[in-house]
Amino acid sequence: MDLLFDLLREAIAPTTAAFALAAIGLNFHFGLTGLLNMGQAGFMLLGMYGYAITVREGGPIWLGIIVAIACAAVFGVILGWPTLKLRGDYLAIVTIAAAEMIRYLGRSQNLNDLTGASTGIRGNDFKGSFEELSPFPDSMVTIGPFTFHGTRSTSWWLVLVGWTLVGLMVLLYWRLSKSPWGRVLKGIREDEDAVRSLGKNVYSYKMQALVIGGVIGALAGIVWSLGASVQPDSMGRPTTFWVWTLLLLGGAATVFGPVLGSILFWCSLVLVKGLASAFIPTTVLSSQQLEPFSLALVGVTLMCLVIFRPQGVLGDKKELAFND
Amino acid sequence: MRARIDRRVLLRAALVLVVAAIAITVVLTLAGPAGATAEVDVTSEPGTNRVAQNFFNGVVFGLLLALASVGLSLIYGTTGLSNFAHGEQVSLGAMLAYFLATQQPVSIPLIPVEFTIGLPLWLAAIIAIVLAGGSGWLQDRFLWSKLRKRRVGVVQQMIVSIGLSLALLNFLQWWIGPDRVRLSRAIEERHQIGPIQLGSITAMSIVISVVVLLGVGYFLMRTRLGRATRAVSDNPALAAASGIKVDAIIRLVWVMAASLAALGGILMALYDSGTKFDVGARLLLLMFAAVTLGGLGQPFGALVGSLVIGIVVETSTLWLGPDLKYATALGILILVLLVRPQGILGRAERVG
Repeated sequence: MDLLFDLLREAIAPTTAAFALAAIGLNFHFGLTGLLNMGQAGFMLLGMYGYAITVREGGPIWLGIIVAIACAAVFGVILGWPTLKLRGDYLAIVTIAAAEMIRYLGRSQNLNDLTGASTGIRGNDFKGSFEELSPFPDSMVTIGPFTFHGTRSTSWWLVLVGWTLVGLMVLLYWRLSKSPWGRVLKGIREDEDAVRSLGKNVYSYKMQALVIGGVIGALAGIVWSLGASVQPDSMGRPTTFWVWTLLLLGGAATVFGPVLGSILFWCSLVLVKGLASAFIPTTVLSSQQLEPFSLALVGVTLMCLVIFRPQGVLGDKKELAFND
Repeated sequence: MRARIDRRVLLRAALVLVVAAIAITVVLTLAGPAGATAEVDVTSEPGTNRVAQNFFNGVVFGLLLALASVGLSLIYGTTGLSNFAHGEQVSLGAMLAYFLATQQPVSIPLIPVEFTIGLPLWLAAIIAIVLAGGSGWLQDRFLWSKLRKRRVGVVQQMIVSIGLSLALLNFLQWWIGPDRVRLSRAIEERHQIGPIQLGSITAMSIVISVVVLLGVGYFLMRTRLGRATRAVSDNPALAAASGIKVDAIIRLVWVMAASLAALGGILMALYDSGTKFDVGARLLLLMFAAVTLGGLGQPFGALVGSLVIGIVVETSTLWLGPDLKYATALGILILVLLVRPQGILGRAERVG
């Protein structure tokens, strides 16, 4: 019974919302346009840094968000400029390399004053102004079966803001994918040359998709960092791969796929850990080994998904985003 | 297939190096005075020229990197797959060698029995390489050949390899644990040769990697199987039409790539005097950088690219802190894709 509550709690947690947002961004890249962005964690990390550093230096929240968005947009343009004219896997290699570079730069001692090197930026340094806006009381609040703090870190306030953002972005994706603009992107995904022969500037459309998805990734980074802290190593390659897994799990190129995928992903992680610690004796699988064990399962899940059900839970096989 | 490395290629490599140096200096000036502290913390003994020493370290690192990235390049050349799980093959080699050679009690996941194997290092290394080669065979037999038969797209295969990488990485952590481990407790004797210092184990690693790389080169250029491999790499359909068993060649490439990666992992563990479950994951992007730099799918390009990356990574520590050395290599990768996406040795038709 406790496990069930844990599951439901995980389903509405801010982390789940953050990953749903990141996956919506990736859905613009991969689902809509067919771009292989393997550096979504880099966009998230830039968003975190942009927001946290601006707010820490005394900037207001709106400026922090603008800086985060600007960072992600500039990063997207720089990445897309050389690679969007090349074949898909070049973009994959460049985005993954660039995301890692951001992480290495962020944790470098040379930039200690700015980014706090490998320890990152403590939550207390930048969360204050956001938490002051909270309409919830500054204590533990129980709504239904769940108890979160009203304002601090993983709070009802952040749950509200996170899921509102998710809702807005789902709406944005839905409107844009139905618009003429979205149809051009889908055309690029299916057959780039055909779209080009219709006189569309494919390069520019791809760039717009890359930037929009990246900006949503940056927003995801802000939501994540408000629930925890800015930690460069938490945004390594595994994070990008998780975002991919949950997008493919929910179904790429669908409106609710990323949200459902995120909820399923985090709930099943909790479920696997809960079941494993309940039923497998610690002599066989110690609590220290539980984490790598469940993450190894994530990898296997990703493989099986791509091989056996590439359209995910919600996807439509006809609208399959894989093409070369 | 072009085998000779002509002068234009060397010129380009030099150009890339110069551009890289400029880029590093720009970053340095941006980073401000903090860069200066990096100068101090590298201790050097008298009589050792730091530039020469770092350059030499770079060559050694490049050779070891080449062992791993030649396989990545061969796989890309013959199947078109960017194998993101190749880094885990490197870690697997090192971890298997540790598993077989260590005097500490070890265990296998899910089996609650601890035991000690403690083989001598050379024997452990050979068995580890054979087992890793076997893992390459198994992978191709039960995963990649099935996917090719089902005509699964390259992009899909790439994402499968990402899943495999995630699974293997966490499996290795689960198996060996998150701590840094040492393959050998022996303390390296250091000799002063001219302006550089050279340890005995490092010298041996150099000899082994050079011999193996020459062996791979000989295999590709002179033997029938090697020619068949290059033919598959150039044009699989044509190769199949002229009677080459494409699937057998690809299986051979997988075995070779996995064993070379394992050897690279073991030598790297000796060179760094320690290894960790994620050593390959951290090298993967450097391998991609090397392979892309040399030209995707060109085995000799991977060698040249690895040497360039190795030298850049090690010499960049002269200007920048050691924690930025990988970032420099990745910066070069992005730069190369900007000016010459087909790489130093690549041909333009591979791009598009």
